[in-house]
Amino acid sequence: MDDFGQVRKEAARILSEKKVDVVLGFKSGTIPLKAQPAFITSAKDANTLILDGFCQNNLAVFLHDLPKDKRIGFICRGCESRAVRALAIEHQVKRENLYLIGVPCSGILDWKKIQDEVEGPITSAVDNGKEIILEIHGEKQTLKRNAFLVDSCRTCTGIEPVGTDVIIGEVHLLDLDDDELPPTWAEEFEKHSPEERYQLFTEETDRCIRCYACREACPMCYCAECFVDHIMPRWSESMVTRGGTQAWHLIRAFHQTGRCVECGACERACPMDIKMTYMTDKLNADMKKKYGFEVGADDEKQPPFATITLDDKNRFVS
Amino acid sequence: MTSKVIKKDALNKTITGWMRSYDVIAPVSSKEGIHFRKISDAKEFTLQGNQKPNYPPKSIFLPQSEVLFEIKDGSYSMPEAPKRRQIILGMRSCDARAAWLLDTVFNQAEELDLYWARKREKALVVSFGCASMCSSGFCDTVGSGPFGKEGSDVMVTELDEAYYLEPLTEAGEKLTEKLDNAESGHSKAAKEIQKSSVVKEHTQADLSKINEKLYEAFDTPIWKEISESCLGCGVCTYLCPTCFCFDIVDEVDRSERVRNWDTCMFRIYSQEASGHNPRPSKAERTRQRIMHKFAYWVDNEKASGCTGCGRCVALCPVNLDIREMVQVITGLPIQ
Repeated sequence: MDDFGQVRKEAARILSEKKVDVVLGFKSGTIPLKAQPAFITSAKDANTLILDGFCQNNLAVFLHDLPKDKRIGFICRGCESRAVRALAIEHQVKRENLYLIGVPCSGILDWKKIQDEVEGPITSAVDNGKEIILEIHGEKQTLKRNAFLVDSCRTCTGIEPVGTDVIIGEVHLLDLDDDELPPTWAEEFEKHSPEERYQLFTEETDRCIRCYACREACPMCYCAECFVDHIMPRWSESMVTRGGTQAWHLIRAFHQTGRCVECGACERACPMDIKMTYMTDKLNADMKKKYGFEVGADDEKQPPFATITLDDKNRFVS
Repeated sequence: MTSKVIKKDALNKTITGWMRSYDVIAPVSSKEGIHFRKISDAKEFTLQGNQKPNYPPKSIFLPQSEVLFEIKDGSYSMPEAPKRRQIILGMRSCDARAAWLLDTVFNQAEELDLYWARKREKALVVSFGCASMCSSGFCDTVGSGPFGKEGSDVMVTELDEAYYLEPLTEAGEKLTEKLDNAESGHSKAAKEIQKSSVVKEHTQADLSKINEKLYEAFDTPIWKEISESCLGCGVCTYLCPTCFCFDIVDEVDRSERVRNWDTCMFRIYSQEASGHNPRPSKAERTRQRIMHKFAYWVDNEKASGCTGCGRCVALCPVNLDIREMVQVITGLPIQ
């Protein structure tokens, strides 16, 4: 039995032994290059579970929506396990009600980039962890994976699931020793002057249609009422203007400071391909530099910006 | 009406000719993909295979944010209507059909939406059919097809060496009258392409049965089940060519009254001033979206509110597929 077969078996076991009410994972999508979140409640359905590079969501996003007393099995990759930790620290999930099955990850693939790479309709797509095998007009076509990995997975520093109940399979770092890989968007961004960066930020945000898929796909965006939805009094204009949209992107990013788990689910959810992680990654890097804080590093430490101590050297708390 | 042809290498010349009397709005390619905008050079117009922009061209007639009027020195003024006539070039049949469907909402004599109507009356739609269907599209199952004619003034079929133009309205006939007449060979080739464009396995969805089954399911727990993985974002509805809900707000700082796209998938869409929300969860909101497309549109217009463009299928962050949802609820396939 391959490793994922073991994962399915474990999912079936915890369901049939009634350790959990539901297992959260992925199942096949309805079109090639896609997968769907799966909520498995019966052991016999555990064999529909899959995991490959087309599983683009961070499933921890569903945890704070589910009733707090529900016992949930969760097949999680590194970024998803960090989200669980961060949510537990912020009292959004009860860790004791979760059973975390950590799994190795081979990185998430950019389905749009794959689609743009080939001519003709893709009728089937398989990601076996080593290469992507497509079928187009009945012909097989194979693509190298690394060129299609999303930026977040290329820069991932936490591929090993943390704080899990069990890890099934051998976790290993992605082999990215590939000279042909172009720089990530964040690397490109860093090369520019502040004025040029503002220009790039403007070009990206100008495409925003304010569908809030980035917010809804994010495990750490869980406010019962987002600031843009606050209408009495109104905190943000509803009209889609450049200024309003830029404010949305900046405030969203700043709310993630020291909280973002760097999974990139926001960018993958965006229908307009707007780059966002370069901002949150930078803010997290600052948190590490200034406060030595890393999201998901332990079960205790609060994000610096959520911490208040009476001996804070800044005057506003005294 | 007489069908026409334009040789492939003469297309740009024809478009340039049109540009003398019309503003031409067409899909252009930029680093962000393709999107509709006014072109200033015929060469900008790009349309490969069955491509279409993710951002739907309904925005030409119903912009995401539109100023209705502004107040200045105590008097109201409306923004000016477009002065020149427009050609919307390169719409796909799914999007042209959407404009035709939305005319039943915004363009009826007894309840005319001035803002929609004044743009629409100035616009001619020159649509391009799709020789092969896009992988997420299902236009041929919901009452249309890759060469569906509704909403177009002229429909274009791409042949090997020429474009075959079928005028469908008087305005379309007038636009194309000076072009060369098509020969029987052209018509035959076009018919062949149109015939082979549909997916053989696809069948027409039984809309009246789907409508009936949806009403039967209205008060059942099925909606909770199918919406479990819904994130509650606005991708499906904002990118839908027929979703037309809007919200009117006063931008007091600028003394403007504005209408903005709104979506039933947002929690605050149905939130009342008291705090009560008649659609409190994703289940009710998903039900509204599905019922609107496949029950209420069918009640009102005997047509599906879904044109099968497949944007929601391809771009939903969790691959919630409207075809699958309808099938799970009603047991009836859309494929």
